[in-house]
Amino acid sequence: MSEMIAQEALPGLVDKWLAQGKRVAGPSVVKPGYCLYVELESSAQLALEGFVRPRNSIKEFVFPRHETVCRYHFSGHTVETEDCDPPQSEQVIVGARPCDAAALPILDHLFTWDYEDKFYTERRKATTVVTLACQTHDDECFCTSLDLGPAAEQGSDVLLLAMPGGYEVRCLTDKGKALFAGETRTAEQAAVVPPGPPVTVTPETVMTYLQASYDDPMWIDLALRCLGCGACAYTCPTCHCFDIVDEGTAAGGCRVKNWDCCQFAMFTQHASGHNPRPGQSQRQRQRIQHKFRIYPEKFGVMLCTGCGNCARNCPVGLGVLSTLKEAAGHGPVEVGS
Amino acid sequence: MIGQLRDKCRRLLQDGAVQVVIGYGGASTPDGMPHPIFVRRPDDVDKLVWNDRCMSNLTTYLTRDAVKALGKPAIVVKGCDARALVVLEQECQIDRSAMHVIGMACAGVGSPRAPKCASCDVHVPALADEVIGEAPETTGPADSPYSELEEFLKKSTVERFAYWREETARCIRCYACREVCPTCYCRRCIVDKNRPTCIETSATVKANFAWHVTRAFHQAGRCTGCGECTRACPVGINMRLLNQSLARAAEEHFSYRAGTDRETPPIIGAYGLEDKESFIR
Repeated sequence: MSEMIAQEALPGLVDKWLAQGKRVAGPSVVKPGYCLYVELESSAQLALEGFVRPRNSIKEFVFPRHETVCRYHFSGHTVETEDCDPPQSEQVIVGARPCDAAALPILDHLFTWDYEDKFYTERRKATTVVTLACQTHDDECFCTSLDLGPAAEQGSDVLLLAMPGGYEVRCLTDKGKALFAGETRTAEQAAVVPPGPPVTVTPETVMTYLQASYDDPMWIDLALRCLGCGACAYTCPTCHCFDIVDEGTAAGGCRVKNWDCCQFAMFTQHASGHNPRPGQSQRQRQRIQHKFRIYPEKFGVMLCTGCGNCARNCPVGLGVLSTLKEAAGHGPVEVGS
Repeated sequence: MIGQLRDKCRRLLQDGAVQVVIGYGGASTPDGMPHPIFVRRPDDVDKLVWNDRCMSNLTTYLTRDAVKALGKPAIVVKGCDARALVVLEQECQIDRSAMHVIGMACAGVGSPRAPKCASCDVHVPALADEVIGEAPETTGPADSPYSELEEFLKKSTVERFAYWREETARCIRCYACREVCPTCYCRRCIVDKNRPTCIETSATVKANFAWHVTRAFHQAGRCTGCGECTRACPVGINMRLLNQSLARAAEEHFSYRAGTDRETPPIIGAYGLEDKESFIR
């Protein structure tokens, strides 16, 4: 026995949420080969199958790539500031992948740690995540290595699982129940959870390596091909670094919070000119250290959900998984030594 | 072809003629996409591969300090990649005599074929020290490199603006386009200049427009059309179309195609009395 919603009823429900004034986001094919999570104007834009996962992540709906946090005006010798409030309108993310949803409880630690970032927490409170369990995976997927999987429930308010004629609906939170109240019917069968990717790395081995091998020359070899762009970090569900910048004129302007990336040389460049991470090898090491040692040591969770977006989006095919395999000694060092 | 390539690279490394081979290799699965590799030992040349999934333009590594520190390179190039070598040499970024260029005859890359391949007229790389493979049999003359642009220009200004608004709105400012580009070698990009700010780093439509238009203008008469920016973009922004527009202007007004002739002075870097613009004389 299970609760289910018919295949043809789901778009109607999405349109109903839109009609209620909710902001709704979900995967959409914006052009051939490019499936992205976008804000939907209608259910017709929603794509639920035919791809492994969108090329971006749902983080931008709780942590936008650009956000104004306050405004300032100069008048004479004084500065007036005007706080901006984070939007509190309800939003639904539908068709999220489990590896995206699982990133949210991971990010909660950072954004509520020594300072509560209300721009994140207010959005997070106003968000309901309707996740669709994965039917397929590719060679870059490694969620199962990180104790997640194709039907992982972490971070989801509702989990949908494809079954003949529609989707099994598992409401996991009160927010999820409210969203689907009266929209489901009881079905005789339950959905079958498809298998996930094989387990390829063990986080404990990676942690041991990272604690012991800070100066391994492997990083120099590995980072030779890294071009230093932000495609990995910006499409990662868990990367959360940002920069605070003032943008404006002599009369005033905005203080904005923009995504930033540890692979940029500018990321750690001091005003003096000194850069504590002058080379790409230090920057690559930092990215992996942060995800698999620093963050778990601080918050008890890894800063990765095994979605594989880093590798899929890297112009030179350098992802977390291939790096972890080398770090954990599971694979040969590919670059010349 | 792969045997020849590996033999050649083995000899170059054994003889000490080069210290590193910048090539393709290391796909994790048989049908996976090869990525750039740096081979420094003769025993490792078997890691090199060559197939129609060798997309990267490896010349972008020639100007990077970490790669330069490895010593004299041999570099594997396709015909389209080799055009960037001409630009880099003309702009004094590389010493052509301090590298060994291995050209691969190429019938096209990507599945489906990359858009640039339909208009390819450099199946056999120029400026290579040697070419491995034979020129492919072509089925007819190459398409115009500007066919996509010409189609686009049939739209009204309003439609074109709406198109670019939609394209640039998706930009997340990851700068993958800049980093893969062989001719984006500035040590400090204008978008990283923040005292004062030249281009806002905010991923707003306004600032994204400023970024993409500036990037395109900086490529005027320099972009060789390798298409790496468009391939690298995680959100699928069609930068190729912007680049084509400036490349066509260079061809129409100055009879110039970047990266095709070492002897023709680059239009941005040369002064000519016959210039059409009076302000320059």
